[in-house]
Amino acid sequence: MLWKRIGLKDFEFPKVHDYKKDYIKIEGKFPKEVKINRISESENKYFDIEFSGVGDKFTSFAKKYYNAGIQLRLPRNTKIVEPVKLEFHMDENNPTLVDKNLIIAEEGSEVNIIMDYYSNEKIETLHNGLTVIYAKENATVNIIKIQRLGDSSQSFDSNIAYVEGNGKVNWISVELGSYISGSNYRTYLDGEASGSNLSSIYLGDGIRKMDLEYTMIHKGPRSISNIETKGVLKDNSKKVFRGNLDFKRGSRHSKGVEEEYVILLDPTVKSDSIPALLCDEDDVEGEHAASAGQIDENKLFYLMSRGLDERESKKLVVEASFRPIIDRIPYKYLQEIIFDEIERRLIDA
Amino acid sequence: MERKKTYIEDIDRGIYDIKNDFTYRYKTDKGLTEDIIMEISREKNEPEWMRDFRLKSLEIYNNKPIPTWGADLSGLDIDNIITYIRPDTDMKHSWDDVPEDIKITFELLGIPQAERESLAGVGAQYDSEVVYHNIKQELIDQGIIYTDMETALKEYEDVVKEYFMKLIPPNDHKFAALHGAVWSGGSFVYVPEGVQVDIPLQSYFRLNAPGAGQFEHTLIIVEKGAKLHFIEGCSAPMYRVNNLHAGCVELFVKENATLRYSTIENWSKNMYNLNTKRAVVDKNGTIEWISGSFGSKVSMLYPMSILRGEGARSEFTGITFAAEGQHLDTGTKVVHAAPHTTSTVNSKSLSKDGGYAFYRGLLRVAENAYGCKSTVSCESLMLDNISKSDTLPIIELNNDNIDIGHEAKIGRISDEAIFYLMSRGISEEEAKAMIVRGFVEPITKELPLEYAVELNNLINIELEGTIG
Repeated sequence: MLWKRIGLKDFEFPKVHDYKKDYIKIEGKFPKEVKINRISESENKYFDIEFSGVGDKFTSFAKKYYNAGIQLRLPRNTKIVEPVKLEFHMDENNPTLVDKNLIIAEEGSEVNIIMDYYSNEKIETLHNGLTVIYAKENATVNIIKIQRLGDSSQSFDSNIAYVEGNGKVNWISVELGSYISGSNYRTYLDGEASGSNLSSIYLGDGIRKMDLEYTMIHKGPRSISNIETKGVLKDNSKKVFRGNLDFKRGSRHSKGVEEEYVILLDPTVKSDSIPALLCDEDDVEGEHAASAGQIDENKLFYLMSRGLDERESKKLVVEASFRPIIDRIPYKYLQEIIFDEIERRLIDA
Repeated sequence: MERKKTYIEDIDRGIYDIKNDFTYRYKTDKGLTEDIIMEISREKNEPEWMRDFRLKSLEIYNNKPIPTWGADLSGLDIDNIITYIRPDTDMKHSWDDVPEDIKITFELLGIPQAERESLAGVGAQYDSEVVYHNIKQELIDQGIIYTDMETALKEYEDVVKEYFMKLIPPNDHKFAALHGAVWSGGSFVYVPEGVQVDIPLQSYFRLNAPGAGQFEHTLIIVEKGAKLHFIEGCSAPMYRVNNLHAGCVELFVKENATLRYSTIENWSKNMYNLNTKRAVVDKNGTIEWISGSFGSKVSMLYPMSILRGEGARSEFTGITFAAEGQHLDTGTKVVHAAPHTTSTVNSKSLSKDGGYAFYRGLLRVAENAYGCKSTVSCESLMLDNISKSDTLPIIELNNDNIDIGHEAKIGRISDEAIFYLMSRGISEEEAKAMIVRGFVEPITKELPLEYAVELNNLINIELEGTIG
């Protein structure tokens, strides 16, 4: 059972009410052929997949009892630069969000998607999401997911992508909130020369417990994957990181790299890492690396000798660690939201 | 263009597969019952507490499930395994007294020769009992005890009682319980305070009988400031029926002591090797594991180091070579239970012809173990794509004042490396051989010379085309 490491043994879903707020925000002008609608029954066949995500219970619940989500279909060779934004601002009247999302990028198309989940600190909210992406030949899907729900919230999020020849799915995951957070990203590199990057940051503070699992399954030859994760843990937080690189037979000349780096700020944190490298094919290159440690004392000393106090110095070092990932987000306003949230959790708390 | 590949040949098992007739003085029936346990205990003339210990272990065994993770154990049928076979001889202190067929087996394995040339003492177990034990006089004079477990239980009962299965209790897992119930043979080593043994001791375990189990118990106590190198060798000839090896190795390394424990395991491919090895290390002590897994049908073997004293250190160097029909699930566990402890893990694995090599490791740092350092490195090389190679290192950190690094790699040996060597005037063949030998070198260099040569001979390289 996936959850035993963070002590979540049993889970009962509350009754799901309608999610009444508008969450699809589109600023640019998209070509008519691009169809973005609320998710409906008609697309059920695309969810008929073998995927447990954070747990079978959660994914099957999302398939049936969703109250939000989109279906987005990009026609052939359609490239849209302006991002499709989904903003889920949960509040007292909308404390439960079960979003089910479908993205189909036809041959040669390209799309940028931002999914932002947030709520006020005091409200108890529950988020359970399922996102399914199909990237056809030569298609590119860039997707940024930000989870910054309040500390009274619980968040479960399952994501899966199927990538065809020369297609790309690039994930950026930012995990900053909720007292329990489960996040699962699985990418099937089905086609030849398909590729996927997963860049993520996580910040654990207070009593937050996180279970993060990232999986890259190489099936097509010459497929390339890259997982890069930077984390920070403080207070009594606990995280479990599971990174899986799976090379199936036939994925010759593929390459997969996985890296996790975590900074530990307090003696009371708990950090588990389970990187797995599974290999059925000889002619591949796979690498994983994990490291953990405190903030470099020399760096801290230097900053403090320049007149910064310890908290601020630590914040600077943490930000410097996160920055390479955050810099991959091409939207200034989002970067600011993320840095503000980090600052709030490191300094103001 | 079809790419040619370089293959590494199977290990030449010639000398290991020599079978002797199955003769014995006494054996139990197949399977496992209270009566059989009582019989073993009676046959061995054991103290009552040991008999009770066996019976309690049997009860635990019956109540524990077979592990569902790791390798497939469904081919293992305990009810058809003979748990105890006394060979047709008593324990001897001279090779001349050992029965001819048994002596020839060990001669072929090179044990008496190694004893003359490079060892301070030798123990040889044949099926369930130790048939030969000898140690150099000067070591006896220094107070070192090296004997079989049965003798130790009679002559040093208090010591055995204090340490026996304290590190690996029978309720640890199903096969530890089985071991507790039917253990037989193995070596006992005691190195007194401050005594440094410069030449290694070796115990060799040979299972000749078909459809049998070997359950030897090795107990080593290295007192304060003492030093020892212990070598364990294992082999068995190939039979059609499955054999089982469920030994236990318990190592106690006291303050400032050093123990190096080397294993070359070359069981036949009908063997289920479910061995448990564990060391506990006190203040500033050191445990060094050298582990080579080549044989067996299925192995589940994860030597564990518990660093309980401040400044204790562990080092693990392992190589696993899985060929056709083999599933070798190996690795190591390290528990940092005290401040300023350090550990290093260096594991290499090769798989070929449908073999399955699995590295499974655990690194745990306890809440109070601040100032720890650990590096874990795993490398695997697959020689064809019908084989499998997986790596699963679990890291659990429970405080912040630590420095942990882990890396793992899988892949082929790069053409660039071969090209580079060739550009330096080395022939292609030689370059490839150098690279493969270089891959296994971290373990060969840790072995005494004779064993290193042996290991190099075990791995014959057939050179053609690219590697990997």
